[in-house]
Amino acid sequence: MQIRQPILYASILLLVFVVVLVAMGGGLFNQSTPWPVQWQHQSFNSLCHQIADRSFWISGQPMAVCSRCMGIYSGFALGWVLLPMLSLMKITRVAYIKKIVVFVLLFNLIDAAGNFFGLWQNTLVSRTVLGGMLGSSTALIFIGDFFQHN
Amino acid sequence: MDEVAEQQAEQNNQPPYWTSVGIAGLIFGIIVFALSLVTSYAMINSEPTGSLFSPVQLLGVFVCLVGAFGGMLAIWHYANEYDISIKLGKGALIGLFTGICIALVTVVFNQIWQFIDPDMTQKLIDSTIANFEASELPDDTKQQMIDSTVQSMRDQNSIGTQLLYNLPMYGILNVLTGMIGAKVFGKKEG
Repeated sequence: MQIRQPILYASILLLVFVVVLVAMGGGLFNQSTPWPVQWQHQSFNSLCHQIADRSFWISGQPMAVCSRCMGIYSGFALGWVLLPMLSLMKITRVAYIKKIVVFVLLFNLIDAAGNFFGLWQNTLVSRTVLGGMLGSSTALIFIGDFFQHN
Repeated sequence: MDEVAEQQAEQNNQPPYWTSVGIAGLIFGIIVFALSLVTSYAMINSEPTGSLFSPVQLLGVFVCLVGAFGGMLAIWHYANEYDISIKLGKGALIGLFTGICIALVTVVFNQIWQFIDPDMTQKLIDSTIANFEASELPDDTKQQMIDSTVQSMRDQNSIGTQLLYNLPMYGILNVLTGMIGAKVFGKKEG
């Protein structure tokens, strides 16, 4: 297996894991400060609505991002970790993956809109799954950029 | 000339990306600032419900992660302007600078707004206190939450605190969207 741009791959891997850890919020570390003012919540303050009812909870504290955002970040992290194995599939037409990303993105928008206008009620799990699909399919865009099997 | 030197020369010959970074940073900085302003005034003008989050924040469901797409816009502009191929590393770098630019623009506009409406922070604090007072939390927990939240809201007025919280996340997320942009919008080599 040939690795290209290993420093860039490893740097993104590290950054994505930092994002996921911070997104999990203060509950992961049993922080005693009230969760609305924890630094994790402040860091994502302008990036996510952070509504507690729409977030997963750890140790009695909501995560710093909503369930959909958590799905996106963790899905991207999972996809990034799996890139070496997935590149074995020798998918050369990245255009297909781009189409999948657009499709999943639209699916997420429709789900959010339907819930907002009261057409249906989505759940923590459904939002996480849809977000996860978006994150992981986005990571797959980079298939073949970092790992090549001879 | 060896391969490394050739690549170096090619990189040096590429046009500067600062215009694209500036445009995308300014646009997304204004969008993020405007959204935070809408949320703040909606909270100030809403009746205290006892909930830590107001229903108007549900609007945020549609704008989650909006500030993370500056990197993609910068790459789109750069690729369209010069019709060149963009390597992933360069996309990440442009995304990083765009993220920094978004954070800086947001901070600058926040500071300007302090002159336009100097009472906004105090009104926001009053609204938050009223909200906590209306909640069904035990009194000691309620007081603890009020004290720490008010302190945090006052701290957020300082430029240093705003940069400390905004720079890393905007930087990282725009690095990712910059790379995605390079993959999607960069002209294929060869």
